[in-house]
Amino acid sequence: MKSSTLLFRSIAILIVIAGVAHLVSFTSTNTDVPKGTTYKANNVPIDNSETDYIIGKWSVSHQSKEFTGNIIYEFKKEGQVFSAYIYEYVDENGNNQKGEGTKILTIDKFDGYKGTGKYTVTYQEQKYEIKCTIDMIDENSFTMSYDYYGYSDVETWKKL
Amino acid sequence: MIEFLSKQLNWIDVEYWFYIFNDLSLLYLILPFFILELIRYAYLKRLNRDLILDSIANIITFGAFLITEVFLGILAITKVYFWIYNNFSLPHLELNWTTIFCAILLADFAYYWEHRLMHRIGLGWATHTVHHSSPHFNMSVAYRFGPLDAILPIVFSLPIVMLGFDPILVLLSEVFVQVFQTLLHTEIIGKLTKPVEYIFNTPSHHRVHHGSNKQYWDKNYGGILIIWDRLLGTFEPEEEKVIYGISEPLNSTNPIKVFFHGISRLYSKLKKTQGAKNKILILIKPPDWEPK
Repeated sequence: MKSSTLLFRSIAILIVIAGVAHLVSFTSTNTDVPKGTTYKANNVPIDNSETDYIIGKWSVSHQSKEFTGNIIYEFKKEGQVFSAYIYEYVDENGNNQKGEGTKILTIDKFDGYKGTGKYTVTYQEQKYEIKCTIDMIDENSFTMSYDYYGYSDVETWKKL
Repeated sequence: MIEFLSKQLNWIDVEYWFYIFNDLSLLYLILPFFILELIRYAYLKRLNRDLILDSIANIITFGAFLITEVFLGILAITKVYFWIYNNFSLPHLELNWTTIFCAILLADFAYYWEHRLMHRIGLGWATHTVHHSSPHFNMSVAYRFGPLDAILPIVFSLPIVMLGFDPILVLLSEVFVQVFQTLLHTEIIGKLTKPVEYIFNTPSHHRVHHGSNKQYWDKNYGGILIIWDRLLGTFEPEEEKVIYGISEPLNSTNPIKVFFHGISRLYSKLKKTQGAKNKILILIKPPDWEPK
């Protein structure tokens, strides 16, 4: 068989399989319309002052063997959901280090007061997405809590 | 149906199912099957010292392979894979049945190509020849690995991570393909039904792959599916009785000799070859290539 035939067939196989995975993933994401978000006719989210105040930078106090200090997260609105990415690390001495931009929290249902979503935790070098809830204390702080197979925690997020 | 396929799954459940198949199958499937093979060998009066020592050598090479695999695997997953995943990947796919199914298909396709390359380049064959050097064919042969066998799978799985699949899922899928492959190393099972033989890799197809008969060389590279071989021109059905092993037999059950014989043969060939260009070509050209 010619090398060009091998190449084209292999690329076609990759495109078909990866394409199916992305198509299904994209379709399912687009059918889960979260509560509290309104849409224009072309499915583009419009600004919603009741929920969008969560967008921006938030600080969370963190204490572990690896790191003690504050982790700054940045909430972004991505279509129908709010996602928080690691923006910066500030250690107990005030030294800053740029975050790796990893997505850590996704809030897919949010009414401005309470929300639910998925929180990514790393345990023994493996990542787990676990269900979590957020409760607004006021416009500048909320608690994020999870309880999963006995592994639980409550974090307080403060707006910067 | 689409709702089921796109339903978001939890990692802990997915890992549990992979644990049942990938890890526990050694206890509930592979070991009992190997014992059955030993009973069959005894019944056929083929259970001899050579076969037992060969099986022990296979397990020892697996231990050596496992050390490099675990070390490279952890390094690749925690550093390279996640770095690629976070910086050079398509949008990340959520965890659902379609993603898992596609990840296994892609891991199987990657396995096809890395396996093909192991046979078709000198350096690849220097390590993979260990797996083919046994004159026997049973479940223990599946664990007979060469010193560099862990490297190519890691390289060939990177594109899957770049396509948006979670690195952990890619790793679990790779192991799934390997476990499926293990089950093909047997003479007990003959040919299966036509549709199964057409789509899946079966013990019959894999016996061909291990054949030293000339017409069976470099055929049937597939892991789970044989359709990759059918599509890419490397399929060969089992017709003539298979003679297991390599064209230049090893004739040893010494685990150290078994583990390093491919590398030592490559080294001798390189030493005999004149010129730097020819030495490089020996590493990247097919194993039977000779300088003019």
